[in-house]
Amino acid sequence: MYTEPLTTATQNFENWTNKIFSSKYNPFYYHGALPQFYLWVLFLSGLLLFAYYIPTIDNAYASTQLINAYSSVDYITNTIPFGVVIRGIHRYAGDAMVITILLHMARVWFTDRYRQYRIVQWLSGVVLLLLVLVIGQTGYYLVWDQRSLVLTRMTVAALEALPFIGNGLRAWFLNGQTISNFTMSNFLFIHIGLSFSLLFGLWIHYIRMQRPVVTPPPAINYILMATIMLVVFAFPIHMEPGGMAHLTDQPNSFEMDWFFLWPYYIMANAPMWAFWAVMIGGTALLCYLPYFVRTKEVEAAEVVLNKCTGCSLCANDYPYAAIEMVPAPAGSRFKLLATVKPYRCSGCGVCVGACAFDAIDLPDLLDTDVTNKIKALAQQG
Amino acid sequence: MSAKVISLMCERSCDLSEHVDEKGQLKDVNGVYIVKFPCSGMIQPLMVEAALKSGAEGVIVTGCQIGDCYYREGNKMIRERLLGERPPGLKKTVDRRRVLGVWLSKVQPARFINDVKEFIAHIDKLEPIQAEAKK
Repeated sequence: MYTEPLTTATQNFENWTNKIFSSKYNPFYYHGALPQFYLWVLFLSGLLLFAYYIPTIDNAYASTQLINAYSSVDYITNTIPFGVVIRGIHRYAGDAMVITILLHMARVWFTDRYRQYRIVQWLSGVVLLLLVLVIGQTGYYLVWDQRSLVLTRMTVAALEALPFIGNGLRAWFLNGQTISNFTMSNFLFIHIGLSFSLLFGLWIHYIRMQRPVVTPPPAINYILMATIMLVVFAFPIHMEPGGMAHLTDQPNSFEMDWFFLWPYYIMANAPMWAFWAVMIGGTALLCYLPYFVRTKEVEAAEVVLNKCTGCSLCANDYPYAAIEMVPAPAGSRFKLLATVKPYRCSGCGVCVGACAFDAIDLPDLLDTDVTNKIKALAQQG
Repeated sequence: MSAKVISLMCERSCDLSEHVDEKGQLKDVNGVYIVKFPCSGMIQPLMVEAALKSGAEGVIVTGCQIGDCYYREGNKMIRERLLGERPPGLKKTVDRRRVLGVWLSKVQPARFINDVKEFIAHIDKLEPIQAEAKK
């Protein structure tokens, strides 16, 4: 397997981190729960920002003072006590979420834990990563400073370039034909609506796992939050120097966020077809990655029908939700019967270890054979 | 005389391919046999019991580092079973002093051999298993 040196490197690295954190508190053993923690941080800080944010580019009813997206963000940043801290948390927790997602992805890839019976997790993970990137980008549109204007115009150009569906997508994205107040409310809807659809994606991500680890231990949460706070106070958020966007402006540069806005860098420096080729090709490549390696099919576990007592121990302990307890056939002494969904079976044998009645077997490694081998080894000599 | 120890081992935990002969005997220490499993979670407490009943003087259950199981939870399961926290558990009559759990990653074979030597020294100090149990 080509990932083997990567696995060894990962384990060497983690043995070293174990010396610092101990295996119970090693953050790399909670790699999947780290972005989940930042998701809750983002939801909470986002809720606070939402309380003051006004999704318009101008407000026809405010005669004395302009109240719009930019001035509300400015108010949050410069007037509300600790508003700049909440904004900072929201910004940097987003960046941290991308970092931890990439870490999670790299680790499952390096340790060869992304294929076969884990395919649903990998594919839904690719979708979740794309969603997080898009949500992060829409967050930058909402500020309505010069950067928002550039990003909005670049996105419109990218969508228009798509054949057949381009104009439809453009109208959907702008919520009309031009940038207007409706555009801003649409951006807010995309930003928040897609964030909630992350929860649906995560449900798919977890559905084939028994007891998914979704929360790191509190000790790690404190470290994660402290890291964010350090960055928030070391690099406080400020309003972009260009000030509020006006539809007549023609800004052509902006402060870069490499975690979310890197697609715009490609867009600015390559032709539009190349941008879409990189985006669509990259996604396709990620989705194809699990099929790149061919290994022999897993020999699924088999239930011995007349021995199964329907105790559910194997179904509880099996890690990938392959065993389902069904009503036992008529005439059985028991209420339930274990059944195996072969395409979900990993061939790990945890169900064999869970069964006290010798009622489930791996076809290529029978537990009676193993027990006999152990007895023979113990008796000889 | 060295004790006879059987190690029930996850094939993804410490890599002993260079330390084991074709019969599954450890080269570095006398009288230690390795039985491999796809995951330490497959090990039944009954197997530990069978080994001790058939004449082994000690059993070492070896899995990956706790928290890093390839199949997510196998090593935690067998650990909890040996400790009696998860059914099916190890029988109360089994001598706990003769069962050892070690949790090592692929890159730690040296540490495994070290642990085996310590365990054998520990077993040698125990009173011998009664002859009738050995039959």
